[in-house]
Amino acid sequence: MKNALSIYWKYCFLLLSLLIAAEAVAQNQPSEKKPEVKELDEVIISNNAVEKRKKEESLNVETVNNSFIQRNLGGSLMQSLQKLPGIKTISIGSGGSKPLIRGLSFNQVIVVENGLKHEGQQWGADHGLEIDQYAVNRVEIIKGPSSFIYGSDAVGGAVNIKPLPLPSQNTFGGSVDITGKSNNAQFGSSINLFGRNENWFFDSRVTTMDYGDYRVPTDVVHVYSYAVPLYKNHLRNTAGKELDFHLSTGYSGENLKSVFYFSNVHTKSGFFANAHGLEPRNVDMELHDKSSRDVLMPYQEVNHLKVSNTTSFQFGNHAFETQIGFQNNFRREWSHYVNHGYMPPIYPEDMYAPKDLERQYDKNVWSFSAKDEFRINHHQITIGSNVVLQQNEIGGWSFLIPAFTQFNAGLFVYDKIELNEKWFLHGAVRYDYGKIKMKSYYDWFQSEISENNQTNLEYLQRSQDLTKTFDSFTWSIGANYNPGRLSLKANLGSSFRMPIAKELASNGVNYHYFRFEKGNPNLNAERSYQLDLGMEWKAQNFSFQLTPFANYFPNFIYLNPTSAHDIYYGAGNQVFEYEQSKVFRYGAELQTKYYFFKSLSAEIAAEYLYSEQKSGSKKGYTLPFSPPPSVLFGLNYEPQISFLKEPYFSVDYRITGKQNNIVPPEKKTAESHVFNLAFGSKLKAAKQDISISIQIQNLFNTRYLNHTSFYRLIELPEAGRNIIVSMKIPFLVSK
Amino acid sequence: MKKLKFLIGVFTLAFLTSCSSDNAEIDTEYPVIDVSSSNAFPIQCSTIERGQTFTFKAVFNDNVALGSYSLDIHHNFDHHTHSTEVTSCEMEAVKSPVKPMLFINNYTIPDGVKNYEATAQITIPADVDPGDYHFMIRLTDKEGWQTLKGLSIKIL
Repeated sequence: MKNALSIYWKYCFLLLSLLIAAEAVAQNQPSEKKPEVKELDEVIISNNAVEKRKKEESLNVETVNNSFIQRNLGGSLMQSLQKLPGIKTISIGSGGSKPLIRGLSFNQVIVVENGLKHEGQQWGADHGLEIDQYAVNRVEIIKGPSSFIYGSDAVGGAVNIKPLPLPSQNTFGGSVDITGKSNNAQFGSSINLFGRNENWFFDSRVTTMDYGDYRVPTDVVHVYSYAVPLYKNHLRNTAGKELDFHLSTGYSGENLKSVFYFSNVHTKSGFFANAHGLEPRNVDMELHDKSSRDVLMPYQEVNHLKVSNTTSFQFGNHAFETQIGFQNNFRREWSHYVNHGYMPPIYPEDMYAPKDLERQYDKNVWSFSAKDEFRINHHQITIGSNVVLQQNEIGGWSFLIPAFTQFNAGLFVYDKIELNEKWFLHGAVRYDYGKIKMKSYYDWFQSEISENNQTNLEYLQRSQDLTKTFDSFTWSIGANYNPGRLSLKANLGSSFRMPIAKELASNGVNYHYFRFEKGNPNLNAERSYQLDLGMEWKAQNFSFQLTPFANYFPNFIYLNPTSAHDIYYGAGNQVFEYEQSKVFRYGAELQTKYYFFKSLSAEIAAEYLYSEQKSGSKKGYTLPFSPPPSVLFGLNYEPQISFLKEPYFSVDYRITGKQNNIVPPEKKTAESHVFNLAFGSKLKAAKQDISISIQIQNLFNTRYLNHTSFYRLIELPEAGRNIIVSMKIPFLVSK
Repeated sequence: MKKLKFLIGVFTLAFLTSCSSDNAEIDTEYPVIDVSSSNAFPIQCSTIERGQTFTFKAVFNDNVALGSYSLDIHHNFDHHTHSTEVTSCEMEAVKSPVKPMLFINNYTIPDGVKNYEATAQITIPADVDPGDYHFMIRLTDKEGWQTLKGLSIKIL
């Protein structure tokens, strides 16, 4: 802890000196920064709208658009957003990741796409977010409790992927995106077509991606204590592919807008072959290392289908919006059959599941929501409600969580008061009701049970029929004060989260981490109280933003490693059991940008988070996946070159501190220093501009571990040097 | 500008104070499995005969308090497992199991003990498949830190 602190002090000092330096020159270098313009043909949303939103929202909001994603393109959406302070990911290899907002993830962060809450298998560390990053135009990230808008789960924050802007009238066009990556030999392409007459429009997209095993700067890794040699630095079997379809179509008139959204995201990706099962395993290296592009067992296949309609209409002073949606998430995990507990050593031929189908989850979600927004004097009031029904089936030869159905309903009122140009006040209340019904499950094989010196064979019950109901009342109050260049905000709010099936009823082996996970049917709904502050200063050539927060959970749900082992189904593995404890967390993010000249700027983005369990069996410990403090120093050069449009050149240097604040079974992670290089430009071609972005991630091929990676526990280093080239070629057929 | 300086000062201070944290003493050390003593058994490449009972012996250590341990003997006829040890043993050819031995048991360690000499009697049934097996020791401490040791053994 001492060392981590001293590093952190170093950052603080660096920051302080930079601030003083910045102030010294702050008055002399005027530079007009025109707002960045984002466009889908002629639909233009200027950064002013984003600025305005920020100033009128009492929670901390970060908004990025597709050009930010293109410039910082990572293997998946969340990896492309990691440059934002407070936003990290839990990465599953090179093609998947899940959001980690201020240290919270899984079901404590929600993702909303086109107004619909994304429901996948987000409870599992190995399940990446099924979102096509090429189809994302604008993302808004709320760093703070947003349960009052979104209901259960939005405890840590929300990633809101906004609907695409509509094409302008009487156009037909599209674009082609091409991406190549050197590290995992990835090729990706995405083709977009859109069109609109006066009122009717469509916007469609097909994305494909294919990548090989990613490479790390080491030829041996230690999975727990087991040494695993790597062939040509390839992380065995981490290749994958993706195929996505999107279509949005509908009508947009003066008072009525109705849009249908359809999307299907399909991925197939391998898991590191040596670390899956009941223990670290030897694999057939000859078979695995023959090709770096094939996906062998173990691997996962995920299909996510979404269909929804959003209809909005104006009626007098009222703006109504209804949304109806359906989602299906179908996930399968394939792996060689490994018997454990009293499973037969040879897989029975008449089994209900294929031999290699380890797990299968099939989720159907129906949702409906409606809201009405209207103005009374200074009050802008939103009343809304939503109803969600979920049905989950399980399959495969192994058991972790039972099948379940879930029903949720919520009702909220939100009032935004515009006192005058400078002052905004916010108040919201919400009521939620939820019911989860879990189904009983019996083993498909018999186990030996000894009682009174008699040994019997029995089909053991792994989960029972269990119904739990929860209800919750959440609130939020906030204020904004914007005197000129300064803007201040404060928000105090509560959030809640219903325990999920995994936390209530899991009873099986986690094959990635070699542990036995046990649910706890007595869990209460998780509550959270959070205070958020925000301070922003924006001058012509200097901007500064600080966003501290403090957060308290009276009953955080936590997977506690016990000292016991399960000798039946768990095959002797360590037992992890769900418990609740008091948790206190605080932290802050800082961003500052300074323009030396019109074309040269420097930025610093820093983040710090501290979490501590205040009660329970891990009292004094932190929470799992706690990101260490980090600082990103960036230098941007945007010169005027006659034949190029908006060329840029940037260098980022990220220092990530040590993380010595750990909880079993985590390991301490050393500090790391990573450089990224990015440059690109738009090229004038006919009527449209082709944009090209080039990145060199991990410039010096540094070997380092990321504390919040899915593969951290088994000591897999992060990807080595990676050159990413991406190109966007828009075209317009008619106008 | 004065106002700006003042505000930057205040917020930097606020940021700096957030750097401090309390330093509650927590245990972050793994327990240790020691099979280096002369009477430890089995060790890497040990052989055990069918129809006999042998005594498992190892020494466990922890900085605060030991938790429990489990022992697991399973076949390695498919060469799926490798050991945590540096030296490797001679292996038989790959074969299919007919009646492989499977042994899994957990054992308690008295509360609050830092050093413990573990012993356990294990009987190898006479009718199991002989061949390469894997002997796995999983040791936890009170806080839930776990250490694994995987040994390659042979049943004759």
